[in-house]
Amino acid sequence: MLNVENINVGYKDLQVLWGVSFQVNQGELVALIGPNGAGKTTTLKAIMGLRRPWSGAIYFEGCNLCKAPAHKMAELGIAMVPEGGRVFTGLTVLENLELGAFPPHARKHMAQTLEEMYQLFPRLAERKFQRAGTLSGGERQMLAIARALMSRPKLLMLDEPSFGLAPLLVDRIFAKIQEINQAGMTILLVEQNVRAALELAHRSYVIQNGRIVGTGTSEELLSFEFVRSAYLG
Amino acid sequence: MVETLVQNIVFGLLLGALYGLAAVGLSLVFGVTKFLNVAHGELLMLGGYASFWLFNLYRVDPFLSLPLAALALVVVGVVLYLLLFSRTVKMDEEQKVQTTMLIGFGVSVILQNLAQRLWTADDRSITTAYSRMSWTLFDIRFPIVRVVSMVVALVLVIALHQFLQRSYFGKAIRATVEDWEEATIIGIDTHRVYLVAFIIGAALAGMAGTLVSVGYSIVPSMGLEWTLVCLVVMTLGGLGSIIGTFVGGLILGVAQALTAFAVGGAYRQVVGLLLFLLVLAVRPQGLFGVKEG
Amino acid sequence: MSRRDIAFIISTLIAAAALAVVPTITTKESVINLLVLVYIYVMMASSWNIIGGIAGQVNLGHAAFFGLGSLVSRILWTKGWPLSISLILGALVPVAFALLIGAPSFKLRGVYFAIGTLAMAQILFITTRNLFPMISSLPTEALSTYSLAPRYYMALGMTLLTVLVVFWLSRSRWGLGMVAVREETSAAESLGVSALQHKLLALCLSALFAGLAGGVFAYYSAGYYLFFPFFPTWTFDAVMATYIGGTGTVIGPIIGAVFYVLVKEILALRFVELHPFIFGTLFILVVLFLPGGMIQIWSRLRRLLVRKSTLAPSAAKEEQVPETNMVHDRPAVE
Repeated sequence: MLNVENINVGYKDLQVLWGVSFQVNQGELVALIGPNGAGKTTTLKAIMGLRRPWSGAIYFEGCNLCKAPAHKMAELGIAMVPEGGRVFTGLTVLENLELGAFPPHARKHMAQTLEEMYQLFPRLAERKFQRAGTLSGGERQMLAIARALMSRPKLLMLDEPSFGLAPLLVDRIFAKIQEINQAGMTILLVEQNVRAALELAHRSYVIQNGRIVGTGTSEELLSFEFVRSAYLG
Repeated sequence: MVETLVQNIVFGLLLGALYGLAAVGLSLVFGVTKFLNVAHGELLMLGGYASFWLFNLYRVDPFLSLPLAALALVVVGVVLYLLLFSRTVKMDEEQKVQTTMLIGFGVSVILQNLAQRLWTADDRSITTAYSRMSWTLFDIRFPIVRVVSMVVALVLVIALHQFLQRSYFGKAIRATVEDWEEATIIGIDTHRVYLVAFIIGAALAGMAGTLVSVGYSIVPSMGLEWTLVCLVVMTLGGLGSIIGTFVGGLILGVAQALTAFAVGGAYRQVVGLLLFLLVLAVRPQGLFGVKEG
Repeated sequence: MSRRDIAFIISTLIAAAALAVVPTITTKESVINLLVLVYIYVMMASSWNIIGGIAGQVNLGHAAFFGLGSLVSRILWTKGWPLSISLILGALVPVAFALLIGAPSFKLRGVYFAIGTLAMAQILFITTRNLFPMISSLPTEALSTYSLAPRYYMALGMTLLTVLVVFWLSRSRWGLGMVAVREETSAAESLGVSALQHKLLALCLSALFAGLAGGVFAYYSAGYYLFFPFFPTWTFDAVMATYIGGTGTVIGPIIGAVFYVLVKEILALRFVELHPFIFGTLFILVVLFLPGGMIQIWSRLRRLLVRKSTLAPSAAKEEQVPETNMVHDRPAVE
C-alpha cells in the first residue's frame, strides 16, 4: 500500500534521513520505532508532502506522492495524527471533527462518520461544544485521532500518540489504536515508547540517526540485542 | 455647546464605522496570511472611484454599486495576490511581514499615480438626490447617507463574523490561522485560504471606498492616510477579533471628533497616530495578529 | 586600508572634482538645478541607507529628519543667523529628535519600527502643515543677489562629506557591528555588540545627514512651503532609490539616487509623469527577486566575466565576488 523507497530528506544543508526505505501493506499495523531525533517525524512529514525528499520516491497505492501537493494527501486517503495530539485549540471539538472531513469524499459522509467517532470516543460527544483548548491531554489525543479518522482514510499515521500521557492513558489509547486496526484500518505508528509499540505492531522498523537499522516482527526484534539494550533496558 | 459636542460625537461614530469596515479587511488579511498590505488604502480609493464613475457615467446608485465595487476589487485582489503577494507565502513570518509591507508600498505608489493620471488629483464625491437629506433628533443631525453607510458597514462586518464562525470554509480559515501545517495535513489548501482571505479583504476595502465616496470625498492620494487609519484601528481593536476591530474604528472616530472639537479639525489625524504610538509604547512586541475567536 | 578602498576614495574625489568644474563650463541653469537635485537625493538615499540598509531597520519616517533640518535651517537663516550656524543646528536638531525617539522605537521589532516611524513622521508633517501654512520666500534683497553657484558647491560638498562618512562607517568597527546587529541580533549581542547602541548611532548619523540635506534644500530653494520637506514622498523616494541601487552597500544608494533623479527628470520632459510606475515596478521587482539591487546585477555580471576569462574553474571560484548585500563585498563579521 505504502512504499517508501530510498528517500533522502533534509532541512537546508542538514540531512536528516539517509536512504530510508520501508513499506506498509493493506491491513497491517506497522511501527516505526527509534529514539528522539532519529528522523521519525521527518519521515511522516515527507510522506505528507510537508518536507520534499531530495531524492527517492514515495508510492501510495501506486501513486507517486512526491508529485502531489501536500493538501492532496488527505484526499488520496492518508491521514496523520500530529505529535502530542495537536488540535485546533481555538475551535470547538465539533468544529475540529467537521474540519477533519475536509476532503470531498469524506464530507459527503460527515454525519455518519461523526456518529461513528462519538461511538468510538464517547468522551468527545460529551464535550462537543467545548473549545479543544480546554480538553485534557488524553482527550486531545483522542480528538486528534478522531479528526484524522473523519477523513475516512485508507492509511492512518500516528506520530507518538503516547507523548506526554500517563501510563494508564497510554494503555487506553493503544487499545483504541488496536481496535481501529482490527476494524480494518492500515496503520503506521511512530513511537519512542518501544515496549508499547512492539506489543501492538505486526511488524516494525527500527530507525536510528536517520537510517533504518533493523526490521522484523516484534519477536524477531526483541531477540536483537541492541533493541533490547537500547530501548528496554 | 453640549449639542455641538454630541453632534461631533455622532459624526465621529458615523465615520468611525467606515474606519472599522476598512480596518476589518486589513486585519483579516493580516491575521490569515501575515501579509501587511499597506496598499489597502489604495484599494479603498479604487473602490471609491469605481462607484463614483458608475454613478457619474451610468447613474448607478452608489448603494447599488457596492457589489460592483466589491467585484472590481476582487479582480484587483486576485491579480495582486497571484502576481506579487503569493511569492512570499513560503517566507518565515517576520520576513514575510516586512517583504509584503515593501511590496505594498510599491503597489501604493503605482496605484496612486495611476489614479492621478486617469482621474486627476481633484477631490470627488458622489452627490445623489438624497445626499443632502438628514434626520434630526433632539437637534442632532443624522445625514441619511452616513447613517445608511454605517448600517451597511455594520451588516458587512457581522456577515463576515458569521461567515468565519459558522460556515465550513470560515472554519477552515480559522484553522489555517491557528496552524497552517496542521490545516494542510487535514487537506485544506492553505494557498486557497490565503487567496480567499486576501480577496475578502480587498472587497471590503472596495465597499468601504464606495461608502467614503458617498458620505465624504475621495482623492487619489487618500491611500496612505486610510492605511494608517486601518493600522491604528487594528491596534486599538487589539485582540484581532472582527468585532473588536470594528469597535476600534468607532473609538478612533470618536477620538478624532473630540480632538476636532477641542483643538480644531486640523489635528484630527494626529490623535489617532498618537494613540497608536502610545499603544506601541505600552505593548512593543506584537499587537495585531492574534487569532479570531 | 585595502587597495579597493583607496581606489574608491580616489575615484570619489576625482568624480567630485569633475563635478566641481561643471558650473564653469555650462551656464545652463537647468543642468545645475538637476545636479543639485541629484545631490540632495544622493544624500537622502545614503543617509537612509545607514539605518535602513547597513543597520537593517526599515525607517519609514526619514522625511521627518529632512523636514526638521530644512525647517530649522530655513527659519534661522531667514531670521538673519549666519548660514553656517543655521545649517549646523539644522543638522543637530534632527539628531536630537533621533535620540529622543530612538530608545523607545527600537523596542519595536521589524515592521512595528517601520510603522511607528511612519506615524511619527506623519504627526510632524501634519503639525508643521498646521503651524506653518505659508510659503517661505527669501527676502527681496537676498532674491536679487541669488546665485546658483554657491548653492551648487554647498550641495556638492555636503554630498561628498556624506558619501565619505558612510564609506568610513562601512569600514569601521561600528559599521561592522551594525551589520552584525542586522544579520543576527542575538549572536551580535553575545559577541559583545550592543544592539541598542549600534542602532542608535545609525539612526543619529542617518538623521544628521538627512538634516544636512534639508539644510541644503533650505539654502537652495528660493521659495517653498515649509511643510513640503515633511511630505512622506521624501521617505518613499529615498527608500526606493536605495533599494533599486542596492541596499546596505556604499555605492548602491548613490547609483540608485542618480538613476532615480535622471530617469524622473528625463521622463518628466518627454512624457507625463511616468516615473512612479517605473520606480514602483522596479522597487517591487528588486524586493522580490533581486535583494541586492542594481549592484547585484553588476557583481553577477562580473562573476560571469571572471568565470569566462579564467581557464581553470578552481581559480574562478576563488575570485568569486560574494553577494553584495554585505557592506562592500566584505564578510559581515570578521
